Amino acid sequence: MSTGLGTLLLADARLPVGGHTYSAGLEPALLDGLPVERIPAYIEARMRTVGLAEAAASVLAYRAVGGAFVPGRIEAGPEGLGVDADALADVHEALLARSPSAPLREISGLLGRGLVRLADRLWPEHPAVKALRTLGRAPQRPIALGVVAAVMGSEEAEVARVSLYDDAQTVASAALKLAPVDPVDAAGWVLGAEGVISSVVAEALAVEGIDDLPARTAPQIEGWSLEHQVKTRRIFVA
Amino acid sequence: MPEQTEGNATTGTRRAMRLGVAGPVGTGKSTLIATLCRELADELSMAVVTNDIYTDEDARLLRAAGVLPIERIHAVETGACPHTAIRDDVTPNLLAVEDLEAEFAPLDLVVVESGGDNLTATFSPALADAQIFCLDVAGGGDVARKGGPGIERADLLVVNKTDLAPHVGVDAEQMVTDAKASRGGLPVLALSQHDEVSIKALAGWVHQVLADYRSGTHVPRDPGPMAPHSHADGTTHTHEGGEDGHEHA
Ligand SMILES: Nc1nc2c(ncn2[C@@H]2O[C@H](COP(=O)(O)OP(=O)(O)OP(=O)(O)O)[C@@H](O)[C@H]2O)c(=O)[nH]1
Ligand SMILES: [Mg+2]
Ligand SMILES: [Zn+2]
Ligand SMILES: [Zn+2]
Repeated sequence: MSTGLGTLLLADARLPVGGHTYSAGLEPALLDGLPVERIPAYIEARMRTVGLAEAAASVLAYRAVGGAFVPGRIEAGPEGLGVDADALADVHEALLARSPSAPLREISGLLGRGLVRLADRLWPEHPAVKALRTLGRAPQRPIALGVVAAVMGSEEAEVARVSLYDDAQTVASAALKLAPVDPVDAAGWVLGAEGVISSVVAEALAVEGIDDLPARTAPQIEGWSLEHQVKTRRIFVA
Repeated sequence: MPEQTEGNATTGTRRAMRLGVAGPVGTGKSTLIATLCRELADELSMAVVTNDIYTDEDARLLRAAGVLPIERIHAVETGACPHTAIRDDVTPNLLAVEDLEAEFAPLDLVVVESGGDNLTATFSPALADAQIFCLDVAGGGDVARKGGPGIERADLLVVNKTDLAPHVGVDAEQMVTDAKASRGGLPVLALSQHDEVSIKALAGWVHQVLADYRSGTHVPRDPGPMAPHSHADGTTHTHEGGEDGHEHA
């Protein structure tokens, strides 16, 4: 049985996987004139677009390594009960195909590497971690997230929720570094996203495979990511 | 006797030594690294990771100095948290180091420049095998006396820009004496770009640490937050590596 600790760890910015370098696109958005009052709307826009695609991909990755079948079973058999490395690779490819911005794919790969590093250190022999390693050194973050969540015994819905929560919280905490924001207000923004996050979690869980993996993107956010990549003055990598 | 840990014996001498350079803004970290590259790059295969806070100034300074091929200099963003990037979550820096090691194998030395931060920011041993803490005379003569983990316990304390001492009304020698007093025998180096002898001494120190690292006698120490303490037998020491095991006799 899962203690739920794993999910809490994944949702915690103190988990050492490099999250502090990322603003979930907020820095270029503010530089381009997004008003601070619109940050909650920015969070919602992310949830409904890239947030959904990533959460659904996390859930599919989680299922591909048997997460749904062996909750809490870090000791999954050496034969890799429920671990399907090919299915995991397919989900990874499908997500890449839905991520048109090269810099955003690159950053997602960096964050994914942080999770791989964690998994390699904590569960080097776990079949799900071995499957993750077949994706190369920098798998996209949502895929690594789904695998790590499976290994730590998270529930399926928690995987989707933590993916979305982390995105919203990344925006909110980056705002504190970028704009004159009261930290309590930023916490309020995240809580205010609860309704949209719940509905997106439901949508993500309803996805059955890569054929119906949503391909929703946010062209403005992608455009900003391209501009940000070539800036010489920036605080966050993206 | 320092407490010996398994450290280098297991990691072996294959991977490059990672040397951190920390210290407040503008004390001359990038310049010091450029100097090291100039002095050592002929004999050693080197790479550099910079942790710029806001600009890519550090990486640019080093690239412009022309002391290393530019592709051997990687810049890492720190999300306005230079202390986090060298201590609480070293992931982005480790990934950059690993990339450089993979790309330019075999490397002898990777230097990581911390984004200029306050006096308490030091490298985690998870990132740096050895570290230099850099002060300058322009920061005031009493800084060395005030202490802090980097000043007291970095592998090397540099008192930089000694050529400026007369101009800023600081007695550089006194500053070095004060620093030595707070370091329990750890080395202090008075450095200036205009003092060739001091530059050779800096290069010599790096050579020595690298040799110790390779032979497994260099033990990464954590200057960390833990204050040195005394025991009943009268010895004073710090606990490298963070955990207070207290196994020593
Ligand atoms: N006079 C004198 N100036 C020096 C010396 N070393 C560095 N400087 C100057 O000090 C200034 C800051 O040097 P940097 O090397 O950029 O300092 P830094 O610590 O890397 O700065 P940040 O990365 O911004 O924290 C530059 O103008 C250097 O030219 C020195 O030995 N003597
Ligand atoms: Mg610098
Ligand atoms: Zn910080
Ligand atoms: Zn002790």
